[in-house]
Amino acid sequence: MTVVPMATTDIKEEPPVSLWRDAWFRLRRNRLAVFGLGVVVLLAFTALFGPYLTPFDFLSQNLDARNMPPSLTHLFGTDDLGRDVFSRVIFGTRTAFLVAIVVTAIAVVIGVTLGALAGFFGGWLDRVVMWLTDMTMSIPNLLLVVVINASLKSPISSWMESRYLATLNPFYRETIWVDFLLVFGSMALISWPPYARLVRAQVLSIRSRPYITAAQALGLTNRIILMRYVVPNALGPLIVAVSAGLGTAMVLESAFSFLGVGVNPPTPSWGNMISDGLRVWQHYPHLLAAPAAVLGLASVAFSFLGDGLNDALNPRGAK
Amino acid sequence: MTKTNTSERLLDVKGLTIEIETRNGPATIVDGIDLHVNKGETLGVVGESGCGKSLTMLSLMRLLPNKIRVTKGTAHFAGRDLQTMSNSELRKVRGGEVGFVFQDPMTSLNPVMRIGQQLAEPLIYHRGMNKAQARKRAGELLKLVGIPGAEDRLDAYPHELSGGMRQRVMIAIGLACNPQLLIADEPTTALDVTIQAQIVDLVKELRDRLGMSIVWITHDLALIAGLVDRVAVLYAGTVVEDAPVDDLFARPAHPYTQGLLASIPKLSDERASRLSSIGGTPPEPGRRPKGCPFAPRCPLAEAICHDKVPVLESLVSAGAHRVACFVAQRKLEAA
Repeated sequence: MTVVPMATTDIKEEPPVSLWRDAWFRLRRNRLAVFGLGVVVLLAFTALFGPYLTPFDFLSQNLDARNMPPSLTHLFGTDDLGRDVFSRVIFGTRTAFLVAIVVTAIAVVIGVTLGALAGFFGGWLDRVVMWLTDMTMSIPNLLLVVVINASLKSPISSWMESRYLATLNPFYRETIWVDFLLVFGSMALISWPPYARLVRAQVLSIRSRPYITAAQALGLTNRIILMRYVVPNALGPLIVAVSAGLGTAMVLESAFSFLGVGVNPPTPSWGNMISDGLRVWQHYPHLLAAPAAVLGLASVAFSFLGDGLNDALNPRGAK
Repeated sequence: MTKTNTSERLLDVKGLTIEIETRNGPATIVDGIDLHVNKGETLGVVGESGCGKSLTMLSLMRLLPNKIRVTKGTAHFAGRDLQTMSNSELRKVRGGEVGFVFQDPMTSLNPVMRIGQQLAEPLIYHRGMNKAQARKRAGELLKLVGIPGAEDRLDAYPHELSGGMRQRVMIAIGLACNPQLLIADEPTTALDVTIQAQIVDLVKELRDRLGMSIVWITHDLALIAGLVDRVAVLYAGTVVEDAPVDDLFARPAHPYTQGLLASIPKLSDERASRLSSIGGTPPEPGRRPKGCPFAPRCPLAEAICHDKVPVLESLVSAGAHRVACFVAQRKLEAA
């Protein structure tokens, strides 16, 4: 007996279209998402190459040109120390992206690992992870950041200062990265639970799908099944969450810096610029408007992009 | 058809009992199943939905879902105890020595992985091939299961293939490591009738070429008539009849088997005649009758049937034909 040939009408002749490519086509049709993506790309470009795009250093003061309104030389004017606001907003973009990307990356790694393990293996591991998640989520994030700042920041800074005076090692001179370390650390600590919950829920539903049983019946190890079969299928909603999470992290960084528990002056952050601008906004509204507008734009862009990705990656949920 | 006289048992299941945990305590789904497959033999396992066919096969590979457990019985594959072997040993059996083909080809392939990769996975894992070797072999496998343009299909995603094609891919994955036993769990249920016949022919041809044993689970007796050597009929989690396929069609002994055969529509039937069916429904797990599980629906049931559970015994006339029915056994003794 011979193998019966399949009817040729069964075969599509187009080149293989991956799920991601398919999603990209759908994303491109969504105008708001394209706008969001455009703004995000522009901001990312600014964050990367910003210092080369502006003639002024974000720290250089010009006391002869304080509080200047926007002009061709200073696109967003100058602040009360005569620093170029445009340069500072651009450097603030750098701060915002750096914080958002590092924090989200840490949070995603922790969240995905814990969520996937909890969902896949269940049992006591699941209970422990969920208990940890609930506990972390119950901590008021602002309070945690304030506590970490109040308790850790000055000891570390003074320890570094004394080390520098004792050794004159330049490693201990710069304390800006202590700022960043504390901001990254405390924000990552409170940002991972949503990712863990999301991934766990995804994995719970994927775990019972027939292709997982099929993979187990092939004798594949749990590690391979988890990494090649479970997690890739959970990526769609995760990408949406990450896009929204990046925007949230930026806003959160600005909020902390605004309150003085995030990135501290002279390092520019949209948050501490808004805080400075707020004091004089009746006289120099551009000092408030410039960083606030950019922060708003970034936040809106990430949320549009997230919505668009959601529709593109979950076509059944779209209208 | 390959018939073999060796009585060497490749798969030997004895008294396998599977229970599910419910709110009202454990309920029996599979009740002491006896099954065996000889080397080179093709066994058909027939029964209606929910009679425990699939669970039995999943339990062999310890793939039962949560809350469902094997509570009694043994299962040996090639002389080794499947229930007690270590996980690493079991993983070698899964996919390496026993191939699985599942019911629904639409959901049994990983949607985000290319066909070629999914085929290569067991080859890399069980046979230690490198990527290039595995890809080459994957192409050969697709050709083996009759997929046109096999090499070009390696980079396709599952959603680009039709149901029949996907089931061919599933079969190719099941066969990837030249298993001694292929367990096909209703592999044609989700397919069109014409495609069903193609898949049956394909498996028959592959079996004759590769010389493996097959367990083919189905609820369609007619479909496998030309494929299997022996049929085990399951009802409510027990084997009620186990016979060589020709014997079973010619002389069905159990009233349930008789009912199943009678319910297959025939071309010679009168046009207006009603399709014959078995009255009633199978018992729910946890509400099994005291005696023979089929007794409440059985047209021939007697007092003893409601009281005692019949065991699977050889009919005196034919050693290979076994049935679990008081009435059928007595009839034969009287004759």
